[in-house]
This record gives sequence, structure tokens and C-alpha cells, in this order.
Amino acid sequence: MAWGTIIAWYLFLAGLSAGAYLTAYVVSNKSPLSTTIQKTGYFLAPALLGIGLLLLVFDAEAGLKDPLRFIYLFVNFPSSMMTNGTIILSIFMMIALFKAVMLYFKKNVPKIVDIIGVIFAVGTAAYTGLLIGVVKAVPLWNTSILPILFVVTAMSTGIAATVLLASLVNRHAAHGLKWLKKTHMILLALEALIIFFMFYVTMNASQVAYQSIQSILSGDWSLLFWIGLMLFGLGLPLLIEGTELLLGRGSPSKQTVEPEVAATSTGVINIVPTVVTEAGVLVGGFILRYILLAAAVSTSIFL
Amino acid sequence: MARYGMLIDTTKCAECYSCRVACQHQNHLAKDETWIKLNTIEKGTFPNVSFQVLPVQCQHCENPPCKEVCPTGATYQTEDGFVLVDEDRCIGCKYCMVACPYDARVVHHETGVVLKCKFCYEGVIAAAGSSGGADATSGASSNLEDIPACVNTCISTARIFGDLDDPNSTISKEIIARKAALLRPDLGTKPKIYYVR
Repeated sequence: MAWGTIIAWYLFLAGLSAGAYLTAYVVSNKSPLSTTIQKTGYFLAPALLGIGLLLLVFDAEAGLKDPLRFIYLFVNFPSSMMTNGTIILSIFMMIALFKAVMLYFKKNVPKIVDIIGVIFAVGTAAYTGLLIGVVKAVPLWNTSILPILFVVTAMSTGIAATVLLASLVNRHAAHGLKWLKKTHMILLALEALIIFFMFYVTMNASQVAYQSIQSILSGDWSLLFWIGLMLFGLGLPLLIEGTELLLGRGSPSKQTVEPEVAATSTGVINIVPTVVTEAGVLVGGFILRYILLAAAVSTSIFL
Repeated sequence: MARYGMLIDTTKCAECYSCRVACQHQNHLAKDETWIKLNTIEKGTFPNVSFQVLPVQCQHCENPPCKEVCPTGATYQTEDGFVLVDEDRCIGCKYCMVACPYDARVVHHETGVVLKCKFCYEGVIAAAGSSGGADATSGASSNLEDIPACVNTCISTARIFGDLDDPNSTISKEIIARKAALLRPDLGTKPKIYYVR
């Protein structure tokens, strides 16, 4: 396949960026006092997308050698999915950057800008799935559930990156955000379900699709899939978060208390489970995209 | 307007690779940049099996998936149906390589631009223009059916090039006579290379 690791990183980072922005936005509405999480999310969004876009530019060798050619990406609307994506990503990049700069200087951003940002964040996450989803020649990708899978994993990795970094900065950052943990768990469960549906249906789509799925489940990519994605990316995080929720740890009884302050008063918090969980989800999110690119097989023309 | 296409009779192909070499020479390609790929495929069921060669290059589709996905408009179609790449517009994103079911596209090592078979269109158009006039005997190579390097060089005349819309052209007659077929017509790309297999 012409697209390799660099593109997998880009798909991952773009989704991650969108997810971080959405996490920050939702937290700012539901738990406005959890400021560390919000800041982390809003700062991560433009940084991660920026890295992703740089990778894209480096992968497009001909454009790298003659950068003015990238202008053609904007004058060819709306014939190619990539053209549409370029516009979506550009707008989201500008909004995310604007939001981060304003936050840095402690200035308010109009509510409407935040909401437009949410729309384009979802657009960015969906676009990464649509980009490869519209390719008819690759049966593994050419399914309408793929963009949904990418949006769901963008959200779950976005939450993971935000919570992970915020917890490292301030170990009480995510403390008390029980609803966020629950949402995260639901997203992970949803991801597992969607992967199951997608693989099951795609396996029966055609001979080539079957080959692709086989290479993931029991062939070249099976180790990455089962150990990397299923165990570390989904199983372990679901287990740890599930246990934490069941035991009721990390949740003050009253949500009215400022969470970060409430947490401080309860004493020491062990952030190891959080680190393991969120790091696992991030690794899983990347592996998912990497496998989907690596296992892609083009429709056979030799029939 | 003509609608140029090709007929490849794989039963005549000697697998000498001269089409590939001629193409590389014509287009100044490195030895590992190949616009013509000779695939070997298995045929039949055990124990009656055989190998078959299938030379594949750009099919100059009427509905080219590569053109559909090209984000900069670098891939375009001419009135004669040639699918071409504007090398000054291509950013090298490789979306076309992903979209092409025929694996026809190759990254140029030096420029990073994605290129492919052009059906030697410059020569074909020039020959078509000159043969329209009274003086069509300026040289053997002015016969447009001999222009593409792979056709011209083929040692066993396994390749025929010509206008698919002209019912009197050699290619049109041979497609019917040899019952030639397209590769995966069900993909809807409407390719223009016919195969005898």
C-alpha cells in the first residue's frame, strides 16, 4: 500500500487533536472548575494537529519540493475527498490555534467560535475515516462504519491524551470527573463493538476483504491486533476503568465541591492506573490506524 | 474525437519484457520504475494448472478513480480519453495510487511526482494530426497504431493500439475476432485496455 506509517501517524494525530478539543469543550460545560483538563485539551489540539499536518507535508514529496503546489489543494473544491478535508482541517486548525492563544492570554472566546470549533473537530475526526473510506479499490476501508469507528476512537484517544497529560501535570486534574471516566468506558466498549461488526461484515464482502481481515486476525498483523489493540488498547483500559468505577474510587460524593480542591483534601492519589489506562488507549488508537493501512489489499484485477 | 485503446493478447506474449524496457527508455525511467507490470497468475484447478502472464499498465479508464480522488486536479483527461498527470500540479500525496485498482501508478524517485503510462500520447496526437492530411507516408512511425513504445517494440505483435470508436480500425476488428475482454468491467472504471486470455 502506498500509504504507510507516516499516514497512520497523521490519521492518529488528527483524530487525537479533534478528540482533545472535544474533551476540553465538554469538560468546560459539564465541570467548568476542572481547569487543568480544559487547558490541556485546548493546548493539545493545535499542537497535535500541527505535527500531523507537518507529517502530511513531508509525505507529499513533490509538494515538499515545490510548496506553492499546495495552493492547488484549495482551488479544486469539491471534487476530491482530500480537498474537502484540507478545508475542514485548515478551519479547525485556525480555530484550535485561536482558542489556545486566547486561553494562554486568559482572554474569552465568543461561545459561537467554540461551537464552530466543535463542528469542525467532529468534521476532522470524521474526515480521517472518510478519506480512506471512499476508496472503492480497498474493500477493507470501503464501508460506512469506518468513519464512525474513526470518530469514536478519535474521542476515546482524545480523552486519553488529555487526561493523561493533565494528570501528569496535576495529579488531581481528572479526579472526580466520574462522568468522563464513564464516557470513556462507553466509547471503548463501542469501539470494540464497531470493530467486531466491521470485521464480521467486511469478511463476507469479498475474497480480498476476507484476505485483509484474515491478515489482521490470524496473519501478519495478528500480534499487533490482539496484544497491542485488543489487550492494551481495549481490554486493560476497560478492566481498570471498570474496576475503578465499581469500587467508586476517584469520585467525591458531591459534585458541587470543586473537584480539584476536593481531591486535594482526600489525600494522596495513585495515578498509575490512569497512566496505564490512557497510555494503553493511545497505543491502541495508533495501532488500529496502522493495521487498517497495513492490512489493506486492493481489489484483485486477476479474476 | 478518437477514443484510443489497446489490445493485449496474452496468449502471444513471450514474457520477454521488451515492452517494459522500451517504456522505461522512452520515458527516462530508472530500472525499478515500471509503468508496465508483468504479473504472473495461476490458472485452472489442480492438477490442470498453468501460469499466465498478464501485462498491466494504466488502463486510461473513462471513469478514472485516480482522477476522482486527485486533490489538486493534477490528473486530468484529454478529449481523446488519455488520462494524464500534470507534473507541475502533483504534490505527491499518493491518493491516486491508493485508489487505482490496477496498481498502475509509480512514484518518480527524483521528483516525488506520481506518474504512469501515458499511451505515448504526444506521438499519437502528432501522428493522428499528420495522417489526417494527404501526406501520410512521411515515415513508418507516422502510423499512429505503431506509436506507443510498448506496441512498437513487441516481438510477437501481442499488442495492438488504435481507435476504439473507429469500427474499421485493426483494434476494433481484432477485439471482436479474438473475443477480447476488459479487466474487471464490474468495477465501473471503464478501462480501455482489452485482453485476450
